[in-house]
Amino acid sequence: MAGYRPERDRDSREWWERIGRGEFAVQVCDACGTARFPARAFCARCRTEGAHWREVAPEGVVESWIVNHQPFVPGLRAPYVVVMVRLAEVPGCFVYGNWRGLRPPEHGERVTASYTRVDADLTLVDWRPGP
Amino acid sequence: MPKRLLAFSDQTAIAGVGYTPFAKNSGVSTLTLACRAVLAALDDAGLSVDEVDGLATHRVGDSAAPTLVGPALGLMDLSWHLDQFGGGSVSHAVVGQAALAVATGMAETVVCYRAINARSEFRMGGTGRGVPVSPEVQYQAPYGYVAPPQQYAMYARAHMLKYGTKAEHFGLLAVTQRANAAKNPRALMRTPITLDDYLAGRWIAEPFRLLDCCLETDGACAVVVTTAERARALRRPPVLISAAAWGGGTTHLSGAGADPTVTAAAALAPRLYAQAGIGPGDVDVAELYDCFTYSVIVQLEDYGFCAKGEGGPYVASGATAAGGPLPVNTHGGFLSEGYVHGMNHIAEAVSQLRGDAGERQVPGAEVALSTAQPGYILPATSALILRRA
Repeated sequence: MAGYRPERDRDSREWWERIGRGEFAVQVCDACGTARFPARAFCARCRTEGAHWREVAPEGVVESWIVNHQPFVPGLRAPYVVVMVRLAEVPGCFVYGNWRGLRPPEHGERVTASYTRVDADLTLVDWRPGP
Repeated sequence: MPKRLLAFSDQTAIAGVGYTPFAKNSGVSTLTLACRAVLAALDDAGLSVDEVDGLATHRVGDSAAPTLVGPALGLMDLSWHLDQFGGGSVSHAVVGQAALAVATGMAETVVCYRAINARSEFRMGGTGRGVPVSPEVQYQAPYGYVAPPQQYAMYARAHMLKYGTKAEHFGLLAVTQRANAAKNPRALMRTPITLDDYLAGRWIAEPFRLLDCCLETDGACAVVVTTAERARALRRPPVLISAAAWGGGTTHLSGAGADPTVTAAAALAPRLYAQAGIGPGDVDVAELYDCFTYSVIVQLEDYGFCAKGEGGPYVASGATAAGGPLPVNTHGGFLSEGYVHGMNHIAEAVSQLRGDAGERQVPGAEVALSTAQPGYILPATSALILRRA
């Protein structure tokens, strides 16, 4: 997998580093406590800078999914499933990843992150059924 | 409360439209396509190139900018120009901004164009180019999630799961629009299809099959915006710009509290209708951004033509077909006419209101809604209400 390597930027670098250590963490606003994803400088709720990282449960529920019948990115083999997950502890935020279940996803089912270590510099977050 | 904008509504008009032929391979540059469409629109309006003092386009780094097209046509001193970054979300915003420029007197005659070799040179999110540069791409592309049909399919399934929208609803929309295209000499795909043809189509990204997806197209389309007063003196019946609205949208990841089955059109629509002093029931014909079948279904809901979740059954009822209460995408849309990134929807609305849409004319059409991509993928949307003068 990983026909495309993520281009980390100055906002996101720490998120990828933490994922590399198997740590699922999001930023939490220092001022108002709102959790946010993806990483960025300002809180959209109280519009202040300043945040700390907090490890959260790498869990969510399935909002939707697609079954790809062609490799939209070079290096991937079709068919493959991309799942859209509503994060349990970060309200209103979605993450995406490849599906690591032996059966198709189900709407609203609970899922847990499954780390896929591509190489020493890159770990991706996939999703599997169950808590 | 949203309100009428008396300094703007009906002060400007679209005085001409122009096209190049649509093709799989134009064989020419986007600069050439842009010049041809601009000249065709000016010819339709009965204006000379020297009367143009503004040019505007939208693009994603894939086409000729006004700063190229102007000099290429010998226009060395434009009063106003706009090179709007963005895809289908901003197509209608470009015409809205041209109308603002004309309404304030910043320019008098602006040609808005979109030139695109979307099949032969630069496929959207597909092969032939790198991954688009956006900070959010890094959280999706490593999983093979990068192209618009995938992203729209994801939202379409969310809608199916929440409201029971069916593949047959998407299919009937594609069938309806193809029937419209059969009456449109410009359309790339004019052979009628059936629901069985739709269902037999190969999977692209489930729940989307081949015929859920628009036609990647080479071509260009342009419209001329000028003052309503001036337009009345020109060759064609003027079509007034009654309302133009801009809106937000959701990003893939960070739309706080986002419901993926509601688009930014739901928030934009009240502003848009208020500007024009009308409601959805006053719309005679709608040219709605149809990059994919689902895009139309969700907009029918968010622009208030049916209740939330009822977009699929509304289409299945025949409401959007020719002869129905709300004919939609009378040219066949991106699904069957061709994909010129929103500009061809505006041009078709103009034809309908001028009454020169030939076999596909909606009898007595006086008010048209035309919309941009409703705010998925790029967090922006835009729309116009046009009216026969």
